[in-house]
Amino acid sequence: MVEFFKKHSLGSTILLLAALLLLIFLLLPQAASAAAPQQHKDFPQGVSAANPGSDLWREIRQRDLPVEGITQVQGVDSGVLINSQGDRWARFRIDNPVSYTPAILLAVIAIIVLFYALRGKVGIEGGLSGRMVKRFTDYERVVHWTLAIVFLFLAITGLVLLLGRTLLIPLFGHHVFSLLASASKEGHNLFGPIFLVSLIMMLLSFARRNIYEKGDLTWLLKGGGFIGKGHVSGGFFNMGEKSWYWIVILVGLAISVSGLILVSPNLGQGRVIMAISHVVHVFGAIVLIAISLGHMYMGSIGTEGSMEAMKSGYVDINWVEAHHDRWARQVKENDEILSAEEFARLHGRKPESPDTATGKS
Amino acid sequence: MIEYLIDGPLWYFSLAVFSVGVLWQLARILFSASKTDLSVARGSASSGALRNVFSRFIPHHEIAPRIRVQVIAGYMFHLGLFALLFFAAPHVLFLEQNLLGFGWTPMPHWAFIVASQFAFFGLLILWLRRMLNSVSRLISTLDDHVAAILTFVVMLTGCLALLKGFTELRLLHRFTVELLLIYFPFSCLMHTFTFIPSRAFTGAWFGRRGIDA
Repeated sequence: MVEFFKKHSLGSTILLLAALLLLIFLLLPQAASAAAPQQHKDFPQGVSAANPGSDLWREIRQRDLPVEGITQVQGVDSGVLINSQGDRWARFRIDNPVSYTPAILLAVIAIIVLFYALRGKVGIEGGLSGRMVKRFTDYERVVHWTLAIVFLFLAITGLVLLLGRTLLIPLFGHHVFSLLASASKEGHNLFGPIFLVSLIMMLLSFARRNIYEKGDLTWLLKGGGFIGKGHVSGGFFNMGEKSWYWIVILVGLAISVSGLILVSPNLGQGRVIMAISHVVHVFGAIVLIAISLGHMYMGSIGTEGSMEAMKSGYVDINWVEAHHDRWARQVKENDEILSAEEFARLHGRKPESPDTATGKS
Repeated sequence: MIEYLIDGPLWYFSLAVFSVGVLWQLARILFSASKTDLSVARGSASSGALRNVFSRFIPHHEIAPRIRVQVIAGYMFHLGLFALLFFAAPHVLFLEQNLLGFGWTPMPHWAFIVASQFAFFGLLILWLRRMLNSVSRLISTLDDHVAAILTFVVMLTGCLALLKGFTELRLLHRFTVELLLIYFPFSCLMHTFTFIPSRAFTGAWFGRRGIDA
């Protein structure tokens, strides 16, 4: 190269370089055109070009060999070129939870509405007396409502993330959905651990009284009184409440653990563990949301006198006798019943007569 | 238009209301007329004040078991909020660029998440207890509820905007902060500035009379 510059003058060198550059500029479009993939026969306008690597990767994906190879790169799944589990999981997610969740939730709401239309509010024989029994402490109610509020927030944000693409984009468009999804993701991840802590508080506060007792199976077989005739006996918690409690604890724990796995992708779990966690998380959440709708209904407008238990912590003695007769016997033996006046004084309310307590005028 | 309003005039207006309001309230307390104590001092007012400021951080042993939930939740909320307010990376950057001209090392992202979970959990429990305990509910005013809910909403909008990808979410957070700043001087939130002087005043009064409380 040095010899070349010695033999030729500066002018002739520049001229040569210029000619070379011109040649390159003239040949470049031709070369680019030749390198471009041929137009697909199905796309005469040339809107799409086949990926030249597709065949290679398809062969790798479909080969009859172990998925994981050997590599010096250290890390989870680092030896896997292509993991088809990801595609299968995405398809499963779209075909199952995304498709069925709206139908499941709408069906539960329809059943509740139908039940209310046919059965109405489950009343108490003789109405409310105004005489009250303490059922829950302040702390127990704080635990219940903390869990309930956090659960509702997680349910709403989780449903936005799960169903947003199919339900919200057609309604609000891509920008609003992406904004909602971003906010929901941050909120969901943040409140998830709070749900777990609330759940543990719930477990510690209520577990002892939710252990199976004699008579609970009868309650279950009679559907809490809806099947057959006659009164079904119940203790402090009846079998319906106990079942709901253990569903919340066990499914809630499954949701929490799977959620923690999902929110911490760098802990060493592979793609398969993440996919399984996602399935557990989503199905657990759908189960809890669906049953919680029934719980909310039965605890509020569905049953006369139930809401007071989680509002003031007290319940009417007639409510206790109607739904928890074994506990009613205990509170009578222990003389734990407050008069309407005592209850009103404790809560800074005006005393209610039995008529106003029952809603009669 | 909304972006201009929230980032501009409303921000400066809320800052002005907050600053003037807080100063006015503190001056009002400081210069309020009080009777001169003519009694013979039985102890030191200064040491009483100092002792009371710090001793009140721990509940009295006779009532401690009954207020354990409030104490734990109270510390969770206040410490979490303090960490969020002064050590969250977006806040440090905002204070540096818009108010102070200097910054400090923010806390890492995981600490931010833990601090916000402490703050949310603590505030939720405190507000629920206020609502569910019959005595607390009776002595609570509208101001107590508005202050709690507004603080919760400010924290929530901040955390929802954590991804920093959407102007709308940032504006929502800033708007709720501005509402809080305007509400602050005229509400129970003033205890942020008055709890130390209040303890000191009571402690000095006790100390002068030789009361060990």
